[in-house]
Amino acid sequence: MVWTIAFRNLIKNGRRSIMTMLAIAIGGFAALLFGGFVTSIWFGVQTSMIQDQGNLQVYRKGFLQFGAADPEAYTIVDWRRAAETIGAIETIRDDIVVITPKLDLGGIAGNVAASSNKTFFGTGVVAADIDRMRQWDGWRIDQPGLASGLSDNRGNGVVVGVGMARMLGICGPLEIAECTDPPRLTRGTVTGEADTVAPLVEGDGDLSALRSGGPADSLPRLNLLAATTTGLPNIARVVVETAQSQAQRAVDNAFVMMHFDQAGELLYGDSRQATALLIQIRSPDRAEFVKAEISKTLAAAGLDLEVYHFTEVDPTFSRIFGMFSFLFAVVSIVLAIVIVFTIVNTVSMSVIERVREIGTIRALGFRKGFVTRLFLAESALIGLFGAVLALIGAIAAATLINAMGVQWTPPSNAAPLTVQLMVLQNPALTLAVVAALAAVAVVAALVPTRRAARLNIVESLHHA
Amino acid sequence: MNYATPISELEHPAPPPAAAKAETASFRSISKQYRLDAVTVDALNDVTCALPLGETTFVVGPSGSGKTTFLNILGLIDRPSAGRLVLLGEDVTDLTDSEAADFRSRHIGFIFQSFNLIPVLSLRENVELPLLRHMRSSRARRQRASHYLDAVGLADMMERRPGETSGGQRQRAAIARALVTEPDIVIADEPTANLDTGTSSEIVALLDRMKSTFNTSVVICTHNIDLIQPESALIQITDGRLVNGGPN
Repeated sequence: MVWTIAFRNLIKNGRRSIMTMLAIAIGGFAALLFGGFVTSIWFGVQTSMIQDQGNLQVYRKGFLQFGAADPEAYTIVDWRRAAETIGAIETIRDDIVVITPKLDLGGIAGNVAASSNKTFFGTGVVAADIDRMRQWDGWRIDQPGLASGLSDNRGNGVVVGVGMARMLGICGPLEIAECTDPPRLTRGTVTGEADTVAPLVEGDGDLSALRSGGPADSLPRLNLLAATTTGLPNIARVVVETAQSQAQRAVDNAFVMMHFDQAGELLYGDSRQATALLIQIRSPDRAEFVKAEISKTLAAAGLDLEVYHFTEVDPTFSRIFGMFSFLFAVVSIVLAIVIVFTIVNTVSMSVIERVREIGTIRALGFRKGFVTRLFLAESALIGLFGAVLALIGAIAAATLINAMGVQWTPPSNAAPLTVQLMVLQNPALTLAVVAALAAVAVVAALVPTRRAARLNIVESLHHA
Repeated sequence: MNYATPISELEHPAPPPAAAKAETASFRSISKQYRLDAVTVDALNDVTCALPLGETTFVVGPSGSGKTTFLNILGLIDRPSAGRLVLLGEDVTDLTDSEAADFRSRHIGFIFQSFNLIPVLSLRENVELPLLRHMRSSRARRQRASHYLDAVGLADMMERRPGETSGGQRQRAAIARALVTEPDIVIADEPTANLDTGTSSEIVALLDRMKSTFNTSVVICTHNIDLIQPESALIQITDGRLVNGGPN
């Protein structure tokens, strides 16, 4: 009966009910779409980072705290043994997709042809493993990553950041969009030749090879100078296969990715040591279990290694998600305030119009609580219908926007992500928003409803 | 016209239980003051009287005499400023708001001048409404409401909303609503004020019939002395004071 009265009163005051529902629906619509965007960040950014770094990373104990000062002292001495130990753990065998080493190094990159050089921060990786990792789609959001750009059949191939390519004057031969060589390279040439490799070749016997042979020979070359572990300088002559933008300018200006063996030879003369092992697992939900199993096994094997979740190594994701979550909370609070005022106004109007009805109900022997329930039910229905409208609208809008293929580049990414507003893909958030709308509607109605329940019966009955 | 003299024995509080059982209500030196801005208005002034059990009592008096205040206090929707009220042998003067609501729900039915039916409910649902506190089964509530609507001659228009019926029909539905919980007391405040003369007589006759059928005490406040039945008890109030009152 309470719900019957509430529902029929909504129908009776149709226009007012619709306006209130629309206010709730618009608020809910905005919250759901923004929530869907935050959800897409949650999945999209994590997917990008897992494609790059794996879910888990194994380091020598103390590396994250002290390794930057003395990387040699904190490298994994025999990464193959560690990888085999991890790969042999029965309980997580089906979870692991990739275990691959990486080796970080730094040095100076020089382009003899352009007489330019630049410090670099390099990473040695197993190209096939990285390419496999970049296909990871643990949340099924269909967001494949870029291939590494390293060819399996060219051991001295490297990929550099676009900023690095620009500074070393190799944009022209790489044919990278939005990458131009420094002006000095075009000095003394005729207009239109700046994008060719001709000026680079002049006066450099080594680079004459760039013009001969197949496509590989048309690629620019760099000299990478690094200090070996014994302190002696070591030089590798590498072929730049392509340039890829990196998320941060400082990284982009110094980034060099090379084959793991190449990096090992440059630093150690072999490839036994690694800075870290990257571990990618099939289901992100199993990350904690897998981490615990690996930690246990490594400790039992007497290996001086530690396992970290990628968010522990790189706080970028947590910060990005934290920022958007905070924004979502602020927006939600603002929307909730608007909804509260709308509901308060609607219920107050309803109370004013039904003072005599309230007096009658009380005179018939109903307690104050019944009157409260009566108006709260009405408010809850408005909230619920508004929430359903919001949900339908948000699903429709999300479907439309997702189909448009709008792209944006999150702070952690070099490549843009396609906006996928995930309204239904995060049922917990969607349900929470819908429930919050109904709850806000009910809470907002408490004050006018309480006032209604406390009305003097005699005065109510004589209300005009 | 039969105005009874005041019942002197009721001027003394705490009547014996046997006497209390014979009364529906006992007003003992009841006074009620309202504050109207800076002025204190004496709506009832030291009223002492008794209402007979199972009878119809008419409360009469000119406008502003305190009739409605008398009924409000009797119906536990208003509190006296002084004095004691005993209903059905129970001193109800100091009941809390919730206790008073419970008492009303169990023992008192109201009929209002403007019918006061819930506009969004059908006549049957309006009659069902007070049963919410008494019966869990919706089927049982529906059957009972239908029975009472049938008793007041509205069997064929139960599903109509109040707005689709005449004033007389609405007041019949209101009577059914007042009786459906089988209360001990039915209080009717000017139940015929909004009705034409023919319908008014019909409604009073119906109330009298219902009183006999359901063995209920009926208290009717009216300014229309033509409606008063000779065999009924009468309470006359003027300027908040009891002029005449008690069983005929």
